[in-house]
Amino acid sequence: MSVHRPASAYTVAPARASSPALSAVTSWLTTVDHKRIGILYGVTAFAFLLIGGLEALLIRTQLLRPHLGVVSAETYNGLFTMHGTTMVFLAVMPLNAAFFNYMIPLMIGARDVAFPRLNALSYWIFLAGGLFLNASFLVGTPPDVGWFGYANLTTRPFSPGPAVDFWMLALQVLGVSSIIASVNFIATILNMRAPGMTLMRMPLFVWMALVVQFLIVLAFPAVTVGLIFLLFDRFFGTHFYDVSAGADLHLWQHLFWIFGHPEVYILILPAFGIVSEVLPVFSRKPLFGAQVMIYSGILIGFFGFGVWSHHMFTVGMGPIADAAFAIGTMIIAIPTGVKIFNWLATMWGGRLRPTVAFHYAASLVALFTIGGLSGVMHASPPVDLQQHDSYFVVAHMHYVLIGGSLTGIFAALYYWWPKMTGRMLDERLGRVQFWLVAIGFNVAFFPQHFLGALGMPRRIYTYSVESGWGLWNLVSSLGAYVLGVGVVLFLVVAVRSLRAGATASADPWDGRTLEWRTSSPPPVHDFDAIPPVYGRDSFWREKHGDARGQKPAPHAERPDPHGIHLPSPSWWPLVIAVGIGMAAFGALYHLALVVIGAGVMVIGAFAFALEHHRNPAHLEQLGNLGVDHRKLAMWTFLGSECFLFGTLIATYLAYKGRSVVGPKPHEILNIPLTTLSTFDLLMSSLLMVLALAAVQRGDHRQSRIWLAGTALFGLIFLGFQAYEFTQFVHEGLTLQTNLFGSTFFVLTGFHGGHVTLGVIWLLALLVLDLRGRLGAPDATKVEVAGLYWHFVDVVWIVIFTVVYLIP
Amino acid sequence: MNGTTRARLLFCATLALAAGGCAWDGPMSTLVARSDFARAIVHVYSIVTWTTGIIGVGVFVALFVVLVRYRARPGDSSLPRQLRGHTGLEIAWTIGPALALLIIAIPTIQVVFRTQSAATPADALLVHVRGWQWWWEFRYPQLDVVTANELHLPAGRRVVLRIDGPDVIHSFWIPHLGGKRDAIPGRVNQITLTPERPGEYWGQCAEFCGASHANMGMRAVVQTPADFERWVAQQRAAPAEPAGPAAAGKTVFAASACVGCHTIKGVSAGVLAPDLTHFGSRAMFGAGMWPTTPENVAEWVKDPQRLKPGVKMPSLGLTDEQAKAVAAYLVSLK
Repeated sequence: MSVHRPASAYTVAPARASSPALSAVTSWLTTVDHKRIGILYGVTAFAFLLIGGLEALLIRTQLLRPHLGVVSAETYNGLFTMHGTTMVFLAVMPLNAAFFNYMIPLMIGARDVAFPRLNALSYWIFLAGGLFLNASFLVGTPPDVGWFGYANLTTRPFSPGPAVDFWMLALQVLGVSSIIASVNFIATILNMRAPGMTLMRMPLFVWMALVVQFLIVLAFPAVTVGLIFLLFDRFFGTHFYDVSAGADLHLWQHLFWIFGHPEVYILILPAFGIVSEVLPVFSRKPLFGAQVMIYSGILIGFFGFGVWSHHMFTVGMGPIADAAFAIGTMIIAIPTGVKIFNWLATMWGGRLRPTVAFHYAASLVALFTIGGLSGVMHASPPVDLQQHDSYFVVAHMHYVLIGGSLTGIFAALYYWWPKMTGRMLDERLGRVQFWLVAIGFNVAFFPQHFLGALGMPRRIYTYSVESGWGLWNLVSSLGAYVLGVGVVLFLVVAVRSLRAGATASADPWDGRTLEWRTSSPPPVHDFDAIPPVYGRDSFWREKHGDARGQKPAPHAERPDPHGIHLPSPSWWPLVIAVGIGMAAFGALYHLALVVIGAGVMVIGAFAFALEHHRNPAHLEQLGNLGVDHRKLAMWTFLGSECFLFGTLIATYLAYKGRSVVGPKPHEILNIPLTTLSTFDLLMSSLLMVLALAAVQRGDHRQSRIWLAGTALFGLIFLGFQAYEFTQFVHEGLTLQTNLFGSTFFVLTGFHGGHVTLGVIWLLALLVLDLRGRLGAPDATKVEVAGLYWHFVDVVWIVIFTVVYLIP
Repeated sequence: MNGTTRARLLFCATLALAAGGCAWDGPMSTLVARSDFARAIVHVYSIVTWTTGIIGVGVFVALFVVLVRYRARPGDSSLPRQLRGHTGLEIAWTIGPALALLIIAIPTIQVVFRTQSAATPADALLVHVRGWQWWWEFRYPQLDVVTANELHLPAGRRVVLRIDGPDVIHSFWIPHLGGKRDAIPGRVNQITLTPERPGEYWGQCAEFCGASHANMGMRAVVQTPADFERWVAQQRAAPAEPAGPAAAGKTVFAASACVGCHTIKGVSAGVLAPDLTHFGSRAMFGAGMWPTTPENVAEWVKDPQRLKPGVKMPSLGLTDEQAKAVAAYLVSLK
């Protein structure tokens, strides 16, 4: 973790310079530099984009004519499942992450992210998840249930092989990576802005990135819980998706789309941010209505949480729910429309410089308009009943994800490439590349609207001649090949630039934001001195003045009085990710591998946590909000945890009384005993408060007593829970007995797991304290542990009330 | 592909690109309405299409004008007016789209409530639709008729379809008759509609349901009330006793694993696969896949796995003779 604030009183030489012995490879494996991690994300994600694209071309080849047998039905089902999963989780999200990583610190005038090692960790976990998912091809069983994996098709009776296990575990692993990255970016954006970079002065790209991180943190828990249920159903015989035990198959669909719809905005908002950077630069005008653009982005994110059921108009929710979700969905079109109009107004009256980056940005405005309007069409439930799961939706979604997200990503590549590599891209070849992508894409996907209108369902590997779908499928496939050539041509453009591209100046486009104020590529420490901020588009103001040409009085250069601290490289992120990958494989092949993987992960995590313990450069991490980075991160993480437990508790309530066999809750729950254990856990919170106070005072005798006491009370609670579980099993209630057993054990068991983690954490702090390595300067570490502990206690109060007290 | 088809294809492609679309009346077209339900949807569909279409054209024209008019002239390094926003304009293009959405929202809500009434009219024909991996079962509880993959309906009479399924989620969809509804195990969904014109309409499962999702078609046969009555009488009658090779086929059928899953009234009582009592009366078999001819059926009973990926029917190991006999028997079951 690094400190960039002038308040930091420690000087540490740049780490990479001090370790010349590290070979090039190990320097990449251990890097914690946000720019290098950004490049790792970008290169890996582009590789996955090509794999997903190859899958798409196989799909289009199979559909080229009626009754083709290029691939079998089973292979085709695998291809479209892997194509969707790959493009969403392994291509578009990490390509966006590449730019978040590289650009956010530069754009807010910081020297790195708040937690550089966590940043590396999220990359390596992402890589582990991506490789794990694609390993399913090597063993011949790619997932074949669709990227949305509707239960109960995904349960053992209908999908017996390992295919679904690969998909389910990979999504879990990738979810962990996304949550870690988001917590990190939220802390970075809120806490590490250069002096003067107020929230409302932040570039739009940073703003949209911030909204996206909140969406990830709050939306992923729903699908995480859905996948946990699936995992328990498949591995441990629970009944979450077992209709014969009383399960409701709407459950998975709700959990998936509560995540899945915000995911759409997770994929598209970064592109909106990119366009809002690129259009002003190449129009040489400020973004029109920047504030409104920020608010509309926030509104899109906010409403995005309330409209998931528009993916479910065909499941029979009833007219009231259908009407409500239809109206909600249509309302999202308003802030989205505002964005389109504001982009047009940005270009209006400008001096448009038609670079390739501008081509892509302008084409996003056009293509997203099509995708957005076709989305409005199926926001109307009656229309959706005809368009749902037809090629109309395939067309719509690709206009949003290729016409929107991928076009935005290409705009960003052409725009920021000179900054990232120090080389210009060939504009002439780039234009050819743009037109191939634009024409190929439209020829491939516009006809799919017609196919949808003609009633072609999605996810079919073949169709008859009489269906009348032959012509447009042929056209669509030919377009897809052109699009494929266009995407691959970017590799040529990129390699030529790296080999022999013209050298890029620091500011080749006459940019507006801070990243153009440092060299191309930027030095390891990003900025020699933290850049001054004069307002929105600070760098432009510095060069050209404000609307009236008035230049700001220059701020005095403020070199950091204490030198520049850069974080040291670390092996532990990689080690933890390897452990996670091993455990995932173990879940499919051998329990021993799970144990070894978990062991590697735990060792890695401890080493990670203690690597910089008491490193003076890491003691103080106060940021713009006046809060320590670590506390801010913990609050964010707990926000995510609220949604996780909220989903678990909501499922318990939804399934209450649906069990088809006993025992029922009131026949078995021991309320007096649990009241006692609840009291014990509440008291542990009191001890935690005392422990923190003692650490802050530097009172070692007291801090040791209270830390040990808190951990002990936690252990007592776990003892109660172990006793309760044993009793239930004796009385005939297990995970497999009925829906009550499944929901009860998974909910309370997950809480127990959280308590266990807390106890381990407290014991680790206690050991540090006993060895004299925990004093007043480390109080923040205890405080962060305390936040977690109190949260877990509060959750128990809710669980106790909902499960035990309410009959 | 021979020369003439290629030429025809090329002609059609050119025409289509020029006119913005070929024929819109394919067998699964969502734009052809043959029931009150489908007509209500097409009504909203066209309002929505026109509204979004006009907005789309407006945006495209504006974008085109901007891109042409404000392209920087070479060598012009002057700065344009640095306009940061305009509150009035921004309020206007917040309210404008909101009003446009009302045009869509009002008919939408009206049709949602009109077409999703839960009430069942007393005189309605009730059909219990069940989606199986990978075929459709239609039960007429009022008429004591069970059939598969071919839904017969009388024109002009209210029909209530109660939709569910025994295995995974499917989606019942016959576009000419209206929108789709999911067949979800453990729930009963409902569509109420009145078919308006006799004819044969295609349908297909719309929710991905495993290996042969693509091979889960069906046909709706809408008939005049008189024709429908005749069909019902035929379905209720016992099939004629087979003669010749068909009689041998009946023996093979009755002695083989067929009886475990299929019902033929008077012969077997299986419930896991399509009722075959009047198999020969259905134009297509295999869930809308092949015309019911003795040759096709013989090929099917010999090796269904090869013809329909993942199908639950096992290969029975019949000889060519036996397969032909069984096919003759099944086709005779009118």
